[in-house]
This record gives sequence, structure tokens and C-alpha cells, in this order.
Amino acid sequence: MASQDKLTQRPDTLSALLTPPLLKVDGLSVAYGRRTVVDDVGFDLARGRSLALIGESGSGKSTIAKAVLRLLPDGAHADGRIAFNGQDILKQPERHFRTLRGRAIGFVPQDPANALNPVRTIGAQAQEAAALTDEPNKALRKALILDTFAEVGLDNPGRVYDSYPHQLSGGMLQRVLIGLAVLPRPALLVADEPTSALDVTIQKRILDLLSRLQHDLDISLLLITHDLAIASERADKLVVLKDGTVQEAGRTQDVFSAPSSAYARKLHADVPALNPDRYAPLRDPGFHRLDGREGTATKIAVEGVSKTFSVDGKSLTAVDRISFSVAAGTTHALVGESGSGKTTTIRLLLGLDEPDAGRITVSGETISGSDRTSQRAVWRHLQLVYQNPFTSLDPTWSVEQLVREPLDRYRIGTVAERRAQVREALANVGLGDHLLQRKPGALSGGQRQRVAIARTLVLRPDVIVLDEPTSALDVSVQADIVEVLLSLQANLGLTYVFVSHDLALVRQLAHTVSVMRKGRIVEHGTVTDIFDTPRQPYTRALLDSIPAGVHASQTATHKAANLRQEIFA
Amino acid sequence: MNRSYLDYAAKRIGQAVIVILLSYVFTFIVVSVLPGDPITNVLRDPQNGFSEEEIQQIIAAQGLDRPVLVQLWASLSQFLSGDLGLSMRSNRPVSTLIAEVLPSTLVLATSGLAVAIVLALVIGYGTQFLPRRYGQGLLRGFPSLFLSVPNFVIGLVLIHIFGFQLGLFRVINADSFWATFFAAVALGIPVSAQIAEVLIANLDHEARQDYAAVARGRGISQSQLFFRHLLKPSALPVVTVVALTIGELLGGSLITETVYGRTGIGSLVQRSVTTQDLPVIQAVVSLAAVAFVVVNLIADLVYPLLDPRVKLIGTVKPRPATGDDTFDDRVEGIPS
Repeated sequence: MASQDKLTQRPDTLSALLTPPLLKVDGLSVAYGRRTVVDDVGFDLARGRSLALIGESGSGKSTIAKAVLRLLPDGAHADGRIAFNGQDILKQPERHFRTLRGRAIGFVPQDPANALNPVRTIGAQAQEAAALTDEPNKALRKALILDTFAEVGLDNPGRVYDSYPHQLSGGMLQRVLIGLAVLPRPALLVADEPTSALDVTIQKRILDLLSRLQHDLDISLLLITHDLAIASERADKLVVLKDGTVQEAGRTQDVFSAPSSAYARKLHADVPALNPDRYAPLRDPGFHRLDGREGTATKIAVEGVSKTFSVDGKSLTAVDRISFSVAAGTTHALVGESGSGKTTTIRLLLGLDEPDAGRITVSGETISGSDRTSQRAVWRHLQLVYQNPFTSLDPTWSVEQLVREPLDRYRIGTVAERRAQVREALANVGLGDHLLQRKPGALSGGQRQRVAIARTLVLRPDVIVLDEPTSALDVSVQADIVEVLLSLQANLGLTYVFVSHDLALVRQLAHTVSVMRKGRIVEHGTVTDIFDTPRQPYTRALLDSIPAGVHASQTATHKAANLRQEIFA
Repeated sequence: MNRSYLDYAAKRIGQAVIVILLSYVFTFIVVSVLPGDPITNVLRDPQNGFSEEEIQQIIAAQGLDRPVLVQLWASLSQFLSGDLGLSMRSNRPVSTLIAEVLPSTLVLATSGLAVAIVLALVIGYGTQFLPRRYGQGLLRGFPSLFLSVPNFVIGLVLIHIFGFQLGLFRVINADSFWATFFAAVALGIPVSAQIAEVLIANLDHEARQDYAAVARGRGISQSQLFFRHLLKPSALPVVTVVALTIGELLGGSLITETVYGRTGIGSLVQRSVTTQDLPVIQAVVSLAAVAFVVVNLIADLVYPLLDPRVKLIGTVKPRPATGDDTFDDRVEGIPS
């Protein structure tokens, strides 16, 4: 059957015109009570083709995906028509539709870490997917599962089968989930942000896998993403959504190279990967410092620092003899995948852990994790902006309290002076006084992260450590935050240590880069050197993972695949 | 059965032994500190006609003139060697008295627990899948309703309806199947409320998790979702709650036995309290403490075996990173 499929895959243009689309959405509206989240959306997806729904959070893209799968939560009401193979999905009784779920329409979720039942083995859950194939023999079903696991690139299918979800990494889990989704050979695969929770190199491998399966198994792919670059690399057609309405739709080349709507143009401009030099004017002063055109002083010096943790009786070297230095008023980026030691490095830098060996100095003062007084002195000059502004701010505090807290802690100034400083810090990040009494719950993600930045600014630090400061934010909000950070640097001469796995963002923001892998710095240099002439294959692989936002030619993809195999084998 | 589990078990058992000893000491001290010494009360009752000399002789013979700590030590070592002493009223061994009534109470408590668990499961299932218009909200109100109605009221209502009105069981013959059944229902309803409350909260939480949506995306039915996916992670914390309800079951049995006229630990305690039969009270309280501690010990020991995610003390594992390489390559290195 599979070989027959291969013969008939990829319908030519004529038959595509004649056969009705596999999925046709027409005038779809979804409302929660009175709030309409999807408004009159329509698109169609031909058999074997791919379509991407692009939009920020709140655009309704995931709601559409859930409507297609009929997994909308209680209280949601869907109107319009979703035709799958000519049958109206919305009108079918649940009992009838359930036979389509999994069998005809597969689902790949957003966050692989939460997408499998934590207290059941992978195998037990895989059996559910295998049951959809109507194969009565359990041993054969298991063989089919193991074949599928091998097919999606899992090295040790038998071991995966017996594992619990928490024993696998995010990338492996996403492979499992994709395997389970394609195992019953569905005609349509709905992938809801399938890579946004994953590292950048894994992101690329997972997307490659999805593309390959889509072609090999002749599956239609409905891809939901916030990333225009990814969408345009992977989909034949794009539908750009905002606030539940379609802004623009059409063939990928058309939408991507010549967006006609203002919103699509803005999206395009906000994607870091597509606009590496967007903030050049704001960033240039830092380069001038590096060039020695302005007075240069070394702000941070890390010399031969190591840190070893003991895990399960085994010792694990999280950071291995790393050295780097950061010039005052510039941004140094630490890049690498999860587990590369980035987080440990900044914990050492902040004095939260003490290095086993080596020395860290900030403004000439040595940082030591053991001495509380000196630690407090260091913290005044060294502040942290945490990754996720949705969890880093106490929800019961007002903006004013949150921003003032460091001043209260360090007993700086009178009450009136503190109030003035809070206002000044908020003004610096572009927030008005009217927000002072708001609680974090009443702020948007971008506003929250600005509050978090303002909070660090009140102490007038020289160095701010930014731990993936935009990874929890939408791309346009991310652009705003980057702009805030760069103008603060230009105005106040701040030094940043910027931790990220988003290389495109690093390219836009940083002056110097250290590439970390397995606790070591494998390559470092100015951002231009690293990005234009990477010397290490690992750096090249990281750079190669940046979605380029165009249909990469087959040869380029193959070359990249070979390169990655070389490195990760 | 790995090393860390054995360490964990040893530690838990040690803690349990300490708790039992402390509870014995506590009961002993409370009883001896409280005003109204029952022994002298009895002896000095003019109706019994003991002379002061005789009273002093008896007290000396019983060792009651020794310092409290010495008495405590004697009593505790007796308890540990399994000797619960003699009842002051009947002069029979306390262990015999307890052994006579224990089976009846055990039957009542276990069937009460069974009723509670079944009821909680039914309520839990209903709250997930009963459509709103068929009274899902009403079902969610059941636990608080059950908690607020005392079990003797439920017991009396059940006796009235099924005993007197329907004649299903003879109210006087407490050992018939139906009498035990309805006693168990009366005992189980308030207990089920505690279990159901935790179960519902956990089910709601689990049902909102991504994996539930993903599992439905694999085309499984509602009851498959409930029994295969939601129930186990939701029921795991309930193991702890069930262990804690043993106190409820013991206390509830006392009342239920009275309402249904059953002999059991409850009626024994009632008799001993009214007659101030100290050795019996001390023994029953201590044994209740032992039962409570042992049941909770079992729950603690079983829990890590049921939940694959539980990390035992001393084996702090970092969160798996989002890497894609190998099983062992996913350690970020920061014990968070």
C-alpha cells in the first residue's frame, strides 16, 4: 500500500484542480461566550500540500487548529464550515467524528514535555495510536510502533518504548509524538507550534522530519506557527492571522516576498532572522568601543572558570575552564543548546554558585559566592532579567512596588527619591506613570518584561545579565524589547551579558559572542566574525539552523543534513 | 528496588516508630496530668467502703505511688512487649477485650472505606463527563454537602428509610448483611467527600493538561481517557488522602456503631470512657495511633512505587533539557 502511495503522491496541477481540497475551511468563526476569537476565516489545503497559519498569541491560530480537530474546550462555539474530505466536521456527532481523529487527522502538539501522560510508559500510549490501525495482533502492533520510532529518528526504539516521558529529552519526545501522529497514516497532520519549545538545532531537525514524512507518506500538513521564517520555509501556502481575522493569504512566495498587508509587512520586519541589521544605528556605539575608537575598559573578566555538579553520584562538569571578557558598554552573547552550560555560567557570574576553579571579576572586583556582604555589593552593579516575565513578577504586587523593591532592599534614598527613581526607570523602558498601580495580571507580556527591566534599572547597575529575555514573547513584542534594551545601552552605557539560543536575535543585538557546547567555549569573537566566517563545525550547524525564510533548494537542504549528521553522529 | 528506595523506606519506618512512641507517651502524660484521678475516685467512693489504709495499700501494690516517669517507663515497656494490662472494670486482659470487638470494627471500617472510594470515583467521573445541563454542577456540590452532614444523621435517615419504611433489614439484628451495608454507607459518605474533593481537583487539573488533548487527538473515547489517562495521575495524591481518612474511619465507626447498635471498638471505648477504665483507653488510643501511623507509612512506601516521577531524597535530578542527543546527554547540570 505504501509503495502505491508513492506512485500516486504529489498530484499534478491538473488533478489538483479537479480533485476537491482535503480540508476546506469556510467562514469559520469561534466564540467563547460573547468574545469572538476567530472571525470568518477561510482557507483550503490540497492533499499532500502544506499550509501555515501565522500569527501572534491571540491571533486565533491555535483555536482554528483545535476547531479542525474538534478539541475546542467547553464553552467555545464554532460556526461556519470545516469540510474534511467533503464531510462537514462541525456538524458530525462526536461519536462519528472520533473515528476520524487520529486515523484521518493526526495532531502534533506544541510542548512535547506535557503532551504525554507522565505516569504511563511511552509504549502504553503508543499502543493507543497503534490500535487505530485495526491490527489485531499486539506483537505486530508493537513491531509497527518500533518501526515508526526508528523512522522518526529515535536511536533505541525498544528503550524508548519502555520509558516514561520524563526520562526522554524534549527533542526525543517530539519525535515520539510525531511518530504516534503519523503511525495510523492520517491524510492530514495538524502541527501546533511543533518546535517552539525546542532548541534551535533540534527545531530544524524536527521540521526536516515533518517535511520528509509529509512527502514520503503524502500527508497534508497544517502548520501553526508564530515564526514567519519557519512558515515560509516549510509551507506551500500562508495564511496570516491577526485578532482572529485573515490579514493576508496566498502562495508562500507571493506573501513572503511581496506582502501586501501592513501587518504581514510588520511581521516580516520583526523577524530577526530576516533583518540582521535592523538595529545597526543603536548598536554601533558599542562597536566603536570595541574598535578602541572610544575609551575601552574591560567590565567583566572570566578566567579559567570551572564548575562541577554531582548528579546521581556521577560528577558532571557543567562549565569547563571557560574564559571570556566583556568590554564596558558592549553586549556579549552566550549561545548554545540546552545543557551547554550557559545558565551555569550566568549563575556563577551572579554569584549564585561558586566556581570550583578560576576567577570572575566585574569592574575589577572579584565575585565570590560565599561572602554575603560582598555579594550584595556586587548585585548592585549586576542585575538579572529573567526569561519569563509571566512567572518572574509577583502577581499580587503593583508595578510601583515591584520596581521600587530593590531600592527598599538596599535602603537607597528617601521615599520621595525612590518614587522619582521608579518613575524615571519606567520612563526609560517606555512605560507611563498610569501603570504604577497596575498588577502584573493587567499587563501584556511586553509590558511585564519592561517592568522587569525597569526593576533592574533603579539600582543604576553597570551590567545587566539577560537570560533569554524575549523567548517567552511574541515576535513583534520581542522587537520592542530589543529596541528598549539597545537604546538603554546607547543612552546609559550599560554592559549586557545576553544568553540565548536564538542566533538570529544574537546577530541583531550582540557585539561579541561565545559559542558554548558541553560546558566549553568552542568559539568566540565579534558577532560579524562568528556569523560570517564560523570556524567550528558546531557553530556552522547552529548558524545553519536559523530559518532562512525562503524555500531552500533541495541541494542546500541535503548539504545541511549531511553536515549535521557529521557533527551530531 | 534500588538503594535510594531502601534508604527512604528505612528513614520512613524510623520516623513511624518515633511517632508511635511519642503518641504513647503523650497519651500517658495527658491522662496522668488531667484532674480527676480515676483510681482514687473509685477507691474513695464511700459506697466501696475502703479505709484510708487499704487505699494506700492498693496504691502501693499497683505501683501508683512511684514517680510518673518510672510509671511511664513500666507502662511503656509493658506495651512494647505486647502486654496491654488488665481492665480495671472486668479484670480481663485488655488485649482479649479488644480482640473480641476488633473484627466487627474492621469489617465496618473496610466496607466504609470501600463505599467511600467507589462513591468518590463515581462523583469524579461524573464531574468530568456529565454534561452541564444534566447537573454536573450539582454533582460538584456533593462533597461539601457530604462533609457538612454528620454521619449519625445519615445513619438515622438510612435506618428510617431502609430499616423501618422498607423493612430491608431488622434494626435490632446488627450483624445482617444489609445492616452492615447501610452502616458502611453512613460511615463512608463523609469520608468519600474528602476523597472526592481532592480527586475532582486533580481530575480537573489533569484534564486541562496538554496530554489529555493529545490523547483525545489519538481518537480515544471519554471513558478510555478517564480510566487510562486521567485516573492514575489524579488518584496518586488521593493515596495520601485515603491514608489520612483512617482517623475519620475510626472516629466515624464509634458513632456509627452506636447508631446501629453494633458491638465494636467504638462501643468498647464508649463503655471504658464512661467507667474511666484507664488501661483500656490507653490501649485503644495507642493502638489507634499505631494503626494511623502504619497506614500512612504504607501509603508513603507505596507512593514512590506507583508514581514513576517521584524523586526520592538524595537523588535530585535536574529537569530534562530539551536536547535531542542521547539519554544521558540531557543534564543541564543545575539542581534546580
